[in-house]
Amino acid sequence: MAPRFEQLIERHHDELFAYLWRLLGKDRRSDAALEVEDLVQEVFMRAYENYARLRPDSNPRAWLYKIAGNCAFTKLRRVKKWREKASELGNRALTSSDSAGRAHSAARLRSLVGDLPARQQACVTLRYLQDLDYSEIAQALNCSEESARANVYQGIQRLRAMLKEKL
Amino acid sequence: MIKPQRINQSSMIQQLRSALGDPPPTALARSEARVKRWLAQQAPLIRWGEMNSPLGRLFVAVSDRGLCAVDFGRSEADFLARLDPLARLVKEPKAAAQTLAQLREYFSGHRSGFDLPVDLSMLTPFQRSVLDTARRIGPGQVWSYQRVAEEMGSPKSSRPVGQALARNPVPIVIPCHRVIASNGSLGGYSGGTGLPAKRWLLRLEGASL
Repeated sequence: MAPRFEQLIERHHDELFAYLWRLLGKDRRSDAALEVEDLVQEVFMRAYENYARLRPDSNPRAWLYKIAGNCAFTKLRRVKKWREKASELGNRALTSSDSAGRAHSAARLRSLVGDLPARQQACVTLRYLQDLDYSEIAQALNCSEESARANVYQGIQRLRAMLKEKL
Repeated sequence: MIKPQRINQSSMIQQLRSALGDPPPTALARSEARVKRWLAQQAPLIRWGEMNSPLGRLFVAVSDRGLCAVDFGRSEADFLARLDPLARLVKEPKAAAQTLAQLREYFSGHRSGFDLPVDLSMLTPFQRSVLDTARRIGPGQVWSYQRVAEEMGSPKSSRPVGQALARNPVPIVIPCHRVIASNGSLGGYSGGTGLPAKRWLLRLEGASL
């Protein structure tokens, strides 16, 4: 039997917030949390409108991730140019104030993850930060499990290469 | 700094975890409260209550439109799981008091019918029509599935009639237990313990079986 919508919020709100935070939080601007709040609200609104049409044997967690991904990718496309500028400024500021610190490495790694193609970024985040299995990732991103595995692998390879390049 | 020799997969995943990190707990709490506030404005409210009955623990639920569920012989969790998944549920015995009082009178033999608004909005027009027809069966009487179908003007629909009765969300109040098979056997019953509950209700009402 499908869980109640109230239960979906109880069970999945925090992980969806974290997912969107990780997808969008490349720059960790001060208003990032508010931006993610708006998106989380949108995810649950869309989910509520469509919940009656969800098949009883579906995985509601993967379904919510799918909606979250769709919302995030739309948002990412919309703000891409603006964010790239902001990112450059942020990195410059970090370089001058904290050139050797861990914060710098973390910011740079976030920035590199944000530079991955959207699907690879989502796959890496879903696998290693959200702990979804490949079947759930496939459902969340509407692709095959093989494609999910390939995107995780390619994402990691690409990150590794970018890290080596920048060192 | 990240050193080249440390870039193997597991260390990179650790670095990823630490770099992408967790959102601030205050932001999480604020966001969850906001989503719940929105749901409170959006979702219909269903208030429910419970009582002991001769057929076991009995639960009732009331929406803004009226009584929307009666269930007995099941666990609380099973009862709640059957209610509209998009609604908010609140245990509020006051809201269910009128229904529970009438059910108590019924079980003690002091009431033969119910005077309650009923919310059948979750059902199809056909299901509503079947249940409206079943409401016309008086206490102590039994009709066959075939007769219900005929009364509705759909004499070939006795099987769908049986299926619609099995989905009656408010058994006892809408007396689907008064519908039996044409051959005089009890047919089916999805409430509580099934056929023993159906037999018990019919005996309470003085139906000759």
